[in-house]
Amino acid sequence: MNNLKTLFIGELQRLQRYHIIAASLVVAVIWIGVLHFTAVDDVTNIFPLLLFLDATTMSITLIGVSMFFEREEHTLKALFVSPITKGEYMISKIIGNIISNLQTLVILYLYAWIFKEINLNIFLLVFYVIVISIFHSMIGFLLAYRSKSFTELLTGVITYTFIFLIPVVLEQVGVITGELLTNLLYLLPTKAALLILNSAANGVETWEVYYGVIYLIGLSVLLSVVIRKGFEAFVAKESGI
Amino acid sequence: MFKVEDLHFTYPKNKEETIKGLSFEIQEGEIFGLLGPSGVGKSTTQKILIKILQDFEGNIQYKGKNLKDYGRDFYEEIGVGFEIPVHFSKLTAMENLNFFMKLYKNHEEPEELLKKLGLYEDRNKKIAEFSRGMKVRMNFVKALLNKPKMLFLDEPTAGLDPKNARIIKNLIRGYREQGGTVILTTHLMNDVEELCDRVAFMADGKIVEINSPKNLKLQHGDRKVEVEYEMGEKLESKVFSLDDLKEDEEFFHVVKNHRIITMHSKETTLDDIFIEITGGESREQS
Repeated sequence: MNNLKTLFIGELQRLQRYHIIAASLVVAVIWIGVLHFTAVDDVTNIFPLLLFLDATTMSITLIGVSMFFEREEHTLKALFVSPITKGEYMISKIIGNIISNLQTLVILYLYAWIFKEINLNIFLLVFYVIVISIFHSMIGFLLAYRSKSFTELLTGVITYTFIFLIPVVLEQVGVITGELLTNLLYLLPTKAALLILNSAANGVETWEVYYGVIYLIGLSVLLSVVIRKGFEAFVAKESGI
Repeated sequence: MFKVEDLHFTYPKNKEETIKGLSFEIQEGEIFGLLGPSGVGKSTTQKILIKILQDFEGNIQYKGKNLKDYGRDFYEEIGVGFEIPVHFSKLTAMENLNFFMKLYKNHEEPEELLKKLGLYEDRNKKIAEFSRGMKVRMNFVKALLNKPKMLFLDEPTAGLDPKNARIIKNLIRGYREQGGTVILTTHLMNDVEELCDRVAFMADGKIVEINSPKNLKLQHGDRKVEVEYEMGEKLESKVFSLDDLKEDEEFFHVVKNHRIITMHSKETTLDDIFIEITGGESREQS
């Protein structure tokens, strides 16, 4: 527990020193710009979509970039020969990610609450953002394991965006309408993520909320097993002394 | 301290074994050199001993207990000094040490270590502003941070000027004198000769020779002495056997009747032994 605290504080310190938090804030400012220039006053329906884009892509990117720096500076090697467990290492990064995503949620919500109209359950949103952040942190770990360079990492994030995010967004804005396609989208974890975020704002079926939460938590548990197993190979690969 | 018996290891994607039946012991309080050309399995052996690689065959005992039975607490016992710098470049030296220090139950005072390594004045500088030599010294500070009972050092003086290399070597000796045990990997035979109590030469995944540096030099050297002397206006030289020297009338004749310019025993160097024993060539990556 003590090591988890040290790792988490260290993670936050590095996110700040390596300007990763600053980059995350810049993205939040972009989302504020989107809210600001939206023609409608009531942003309740747009809000979940912006959170969706942030909590998914930023979670993956933050984990990937943070591990990229650790790999570049070989500090991963030093961490691997310290008494920390792989669980502590991963949880500290996931908590850092959640904090960053909740920071964006709070900033956007405050802006919308002060300058626009918004009517949604913020406490539910906090819970959903945490669930989405955890799942996408796992994706971030997978990408970090497989990426040999920053370019490969970015390629991975872009590929994930094209395959998993864009179809869901296209359905949300009414471009994808066919029954078969919309039903197939339920297989995507990103569909589950958008559904639960939408549920905090408007009419989503109750079963869809349960599906979204259970599907994401279930996939997170499965991925955590894969990531824990892959961690040993990752450590061996990165630890030439 | 460590007892390794019939150690075998094959990387998952390789067909051939990288480690082919290593057996050796490291005594408590000794500095043990692990030497050999690149790619013969030194790094792999070290990775196994520090529990980075787990799927090995054979038996490794650390302090009488199977290495596989140790958990993460094993890392409270050891310090690892890497050859390449392993620091967060955008944090200061103190911030780096404070972070790592808190991961251990026991630790040295970072300020004291920084003073010993001549880095105290720069403790509040970011690592990115450090020279290569300063980063290497920081590696050594980090390795000692948790008061380890055993040190694994990889090229600890690489990239250091003679003065700072001397400081590191003195600290390693001091660590040994306080009961610490060291496994040292280096290509600098001068360091080996100065520091190591015993050395193991590796070639092709095996230990091909294990002995003290002094015994190795005696074993592999020629017991001869070469005398260079003046003969009129010319320089002459002759080689005499050390074994028969006290009865060698020609040697005494030369010494008594000529001006001696140089006299050298034909003792071999560890560099020569390294090349002779290991072939000195790199093999496949390990």
